[in-house]
Amino acid sequence: MVDTAPNALCFGDGFPATGVPCVVHVEGHGLTMAFLHNVHGTENGSDSVPFSDMTVSAGGLDHDQLVVKWNSPTEQRTLYLKNPDLIRAFRQAAPSHLSSPLERAAEQVRQVRKRHRLVWGVVGGSLLALVLGLWFGSDLLVELAVDRIPIEWEQKLGESAYRDFLGGQEVMEEGPVVAAVEEMTRRLANQIPDNPYRFDVTVVKSDVVNAFALPGGSVVVFTGMMKKAERPEEVAGVLAHELNHVLQRHGLERIVKQLGFVAVASIIFGNQQGLGQMMKQLGVELMTLKFGRAQETEADLTGLQLLYRAKIDPSGMITFFERLAEKDEGRVELLSTHPMSSSRAEQLKAELAAMPTVTPEPFVFEWDKIRTSLGVSTSTGS
Amino acid sequence: MKSEILYPGAFPMVRVEFGEGEHIKAESGAMVACSPTIDIESKMEGGFLGALSRKFLTGEKFFFQTLRASRGAGEALLAPTVPGEIVVLELDGVNEYMVQKDGFLAGADGIAIDSQMQSMSRGLLGGEGFFILKMSGKGMLVLNSFGAIHKIELKPSQEYIVDNSHLVAWSTTTSYNIEKATSGWVASFTSGEGFVCRFRGPGVVYIQSRNPRGFGSWVRQFLPASE
Ligand SMILES: [Zn+2]
Repeated sequence: MVDTAPNALCFGDGFPATGVPCVVHVEGHGLTMAFLHNVHGTENGSDSVPFSDMTVSAGGLDHDQLVVKWNSPTEQRTLYLKNPDLIRAFRQAAPSHLSSPLERAAEQVRQVRKRHRLVWGVVGGSLLALVLGLWFGSDLLVELAVDRIPIEWEQKLGESAYRDFLGGQEVMEEGPVVAAVEEMTRRLANQIPDNPYRFDVTVVKSDVVNAFALPGGSVVVFTGMMKKAERPEEVAGVLAHELNHVLQRHGLERIVKQLGFVAVASIIFGNQQGLGQMMKQLGVELMTLKFGRAQETEADLTGLQLLYRAKIDPSGMITFFERLAEKDEGRVELLSTHPMSSSRAEQLKAELAAMPTVTPEPFVFEWDKIRTSLGVSTSTGS
Repeated sequence: MKSEILYPGAFPMVRVEFGEGEHIKAESGAMVACSPTIDIESKMEGGFLGALSRKFLTGEKFFFQTLRASRGAGEALLAPTVPGEIVVLELDGVNEYMVQKDGFLAGADGIAIDSQMQSMSRGLLGGEGFFILKMSGKGMLVLNSFGAIHKIELKPSQEYIVDNSHLVAWSTTTSYNIEKATSGWVASFTSGEGFVCRFRGPGVVYIQSRNPRGFGSWVRQFLPASE
């Protein structure tokens, strides 16, 4: 029995499978070991092995332990050393015939560690790059992914969101208001070359000041917004902006960006439930469709150009947003998704000033009659 | 500190007797009952970030509980969440064990618990995730299993093959390779099963007689499908 703390485990046929703890010392001729318990086949609970009798290798779970093997008179014994000081002392004292296997063992440990680090480095690095890329707007990746999504998928997605939305709404099926919105949409859509989308317009009876377009081409206009518009060009301006969100597939980009991040995160953190939850959350978000600032700018600028090509006075878009922002009254949801910042206004005005003047073609409908049918007094006129 | 397993079999508890001032670390939620002299502290092992990363990466509980007999001797009853056996190991300072994350129930204060990152292949295919717990030090270590615990003793160079989802703990003097149990890589990857560990002695491997993942999918077929 010894009183020093054990620093190695000794294995042999007669020993328990967990090995016998022992205290190993490196001596000039070899190793001595003192066992904590008396085990059979050892004299006085101790043993010694000359260097000449042993072979060495690397072993254990991470190949980082020094394994010493030798034949005792009765059986083969194996010693597992993992204490770094002990291994260093062993390497210094070991004679030349052990030095090359020792070097091999040490090299093996280094290789394993290096491979470990390399693999983890590469995997960790690429995961990090992926997460950062998707999160901090490497929009290129998102665009690549969005390009591969067929229009039909997008339409299905939009339709299901559209149906969910219509559930609680009162729809205006026909009449001059619907006809007017359809005419404006048609005028704009006719100026879109190779348009893969069919724009379906729905007018919803609601005092909420809002309008939005869902991925796939469903356009929803609230009567509340029509009432706030003094000129039809203002409604057309909002429509042009919204149609361009559809054309540039902005909704899809948002979804892919968020889903991509969640997908990567759930792979890393092994949380598959998060993915389903996120899908549901996205369904809700489709309604409110908050786009990024870059997307809004894009929709603004392409919207202006579309108005220009359709020969509709583009200034309506600017004046409408500005007026809404000025007297913030009622539920102006359009503003919460499209805040009229001064930089946005300036950019729009600059863009408008740079455009050649266009002679607008009037709409077929009479705006005053539309206003009357919406219940707005038209005495302020023109 | 003394321990005793009560009701050995499927629904055991372990009774730990504390001398004054003694304390143990336990999986949070393991404490069933205790003397009024025992204080329960929830401590974040390894600080907030350590605990957070452990939670995300190993799926392990955020906290360990510390049970401390600060106001005199006493006892505590501990039990795991799942039905299955409990085994108490006495660590001697040289033997070290790797424990899969659901296998730890409690450890004496002299036991050091480290979250260790596995190699990529072991993490991907081994079924215990990328992080497992390494137990070292000296004192009592309490493990729990799903089903019965079976101990496999390996002589030097002796080999044994274990289905990865049945692993509970293994000594660090063993080494293992992940192998595929069936022919055909597609089946292995899609089912997530079919990987086995070829262990090589010397050392001890503790396995559980039931497979928690297998049990989970068996139960799932009786649950109404969630939309
Ligand atoms: Zn917009």
